[in-house]
Amino acid sequence: MGLTLLTDLFYVPKLGRGAWCVWQRNFLYFRYSIWVSLLWVIVEPILYLLAIGYGLGTLVGDVQGVSYLEFFTPALMVISAMLVVFFESTYSTYTKLTRQKTFDTVLLTSIGPDEVALGEILWAASKGLLSASGVALVAWSQGLIRPEHIVPSLAVVALMCWVFASIGVIFTSTARNYDWFLYAQTIFIMPMYLFAGTYFPLGVLPELVQKIALFLPLTHAVMAVRSIVSGEVQASLFLNLAVLFVMAVFTTNYAVARMRAKLVT
Amino acid sequence: MVCMQAAVEARSLEKKYGNKTVVNKIDLFVPRGECFGILGPNGAGKTSTLRMLYGMNRITSGELFVLGLNVRTHLKVIKSKIGIVPQMDGLDHDFTVMDNLLVFARFVGLKQKQARLRALELLRLMQLEEYKDHSVEVLSGGMKRRLVIARALLNEPELLILDEPTTGLDPQARQWIWHSLEQLKRAGRSLILTTHYMEEAEVLCDRLVIMDRGQILCEGHPKDLIEEHIGREVVEFEVAPEDLNYFVKKVRDQYRYQVINRKIQLFIGEDQDGREAAQLVNTSSIRIRRAALNDVFLKLSGHELRDQ
Repeated sequence: MGLTLLTDLFYVPKLGRGAWCVWQRNFLYFRYSIWVSLLWVIVEPILYLLAIGYGLGTLVGDVQGVSYLEFFTPALMVISAMLVVFFESTYSTYTKLTRQKTFDTVLLTSIGPDEVALGEILWAASKGLLSASGVALVAWSQGLIRPEHIVPSLAVVALMCWVFASIGVIFTSTARNYDWFLYAQTIFIMPMYLFAGTYFPLGVLPELVQKIALFLPLTHAVMAVRSIVSGEVQASLFLNLAVLFVMAVFTTNYAVARMRAKLVT
Repeated sequence: MVCMQAAVEARSLEKKYGNKTVVNKIDLFVPRGECFGILGPNGAGKTSTLRMLYGMNRITSGELFVLGLNVRTHLKVIKSKIGIVPQMDGLDHDFTVMDNLLVFARFVGLKQKQARLRALELLRLMQLEEYKDHSVEVLSGGMKRRLVIARALLNEPELLILDEPTTGLDPQARQWIWHSLEQLKRAGRSLILTTHYMEEAEVLCDRLVIMDRGQILCEGHPKDLIEEHIGREVVEFEVAPEDLNYFVKKVRDQYRYQVINRKIQLFIGEDQDGREAAQLVNTSSIRIRRAALNDVFLKLSGHELRDQ
């Protein structure tokens, strides 16, 4: 068991055009309802910024030298991306894996299981990036983010999306039913959503919790994006990126190995 | 040595799940251009055998070559040359009929323009053209199966693998599928199919194996198998349990027979006469009928009910 985990972590997936084909299949499905989706990508951050920023923010005052709205905006980018990615790579991927047998159909062709897994990760990450772009657009229109900071911020978000997509696929490969994802949300996503330095700075938490938070991908993403948006790039940014990168490599390898074991029996 | 003329060649092919053996060291040889059948009840190992052909099941041990290529090392190339009709259709219910084919065409690497032409051509062949913009959900079972066959033909495969292609279809739809498979065979394609309908195998297959519990019970041309194991006709009649011995003694010196519950079946060979046998038995409710593949199967596999 331990050895399997180790070989899975270092399993290097085989890439080919197949992953892109799987992405395109998902995009075709997305196109059926593209306008509703795009509208929602814009409307949702507006609602969030209104409620949290203007509502809650007026009560809170300044945080770390900026208004609460400015403090919260980078967090909103990564949070909304995380939630979209996780939903896509769990519920949607699981449906394709089990009910619709979509992947079994892909595997009738010369596309292999590695490419199926990578295609799903790529697709979920893309949707997360789209969601973060919506937030960035709304934030820019409100003067909450400078235009030259948008692309570097989204690059960090993309890396984080890749990590969460892989984690989602790992959950999918171990799931027995849809309830499993509810547990995953409760024990994994929700704590991160609340305690990764999103709604308040990490510094207000007890030291032990702060240390634990440093093992969570979302924490590093929030820190990195916040650093970029603030305009004062600190050395810690590169550490955040390095952590996310290492997480991406291992979660991807593991996710692909798990899916391969699930698809080819 | 690998025979280049073989569509499929398996040597001592084995599949285990944990300690459970589902395919028990079977040998297969299917020449190109042949329609080859794998028959057997549920759980016989038919589907597991097929799934090893296209890499969805890992081979536990033994050798397996498809179109002269080793499945272990050349799966990608093999897959580009074969078409597969799986038991579960795996159609995308969110998409239209046409989009189902176009998405799959992209998977097999066709360019968009070429894909559209090929898809239209196949929809015409499978008489689904008028449904091309319909959602897959409105199709009947038979139409769905036709669409899956069309999908399997997109890459112009040399070998078509069909897992129970007519299970769950009504008689008309089944006839239609048989007809189209015969046409494909005439066009020079190799076909491998599994089925548990004996009459389907009799109609379609040049040669077949009957499998049970992971093993091959017999192999050959359907007609030869019937002749060898059963004969020309079957005379069957029911008797009371207490009379069973009496009747068996009466016939056993002249005829081969088997007993299924209260039913006695006599196998009538080429040089024998069914009516003579019926007169000898001389009881009510005697039936004389042509021997069928089904009889071979029941004789070889035993006749208890299967739960799965």
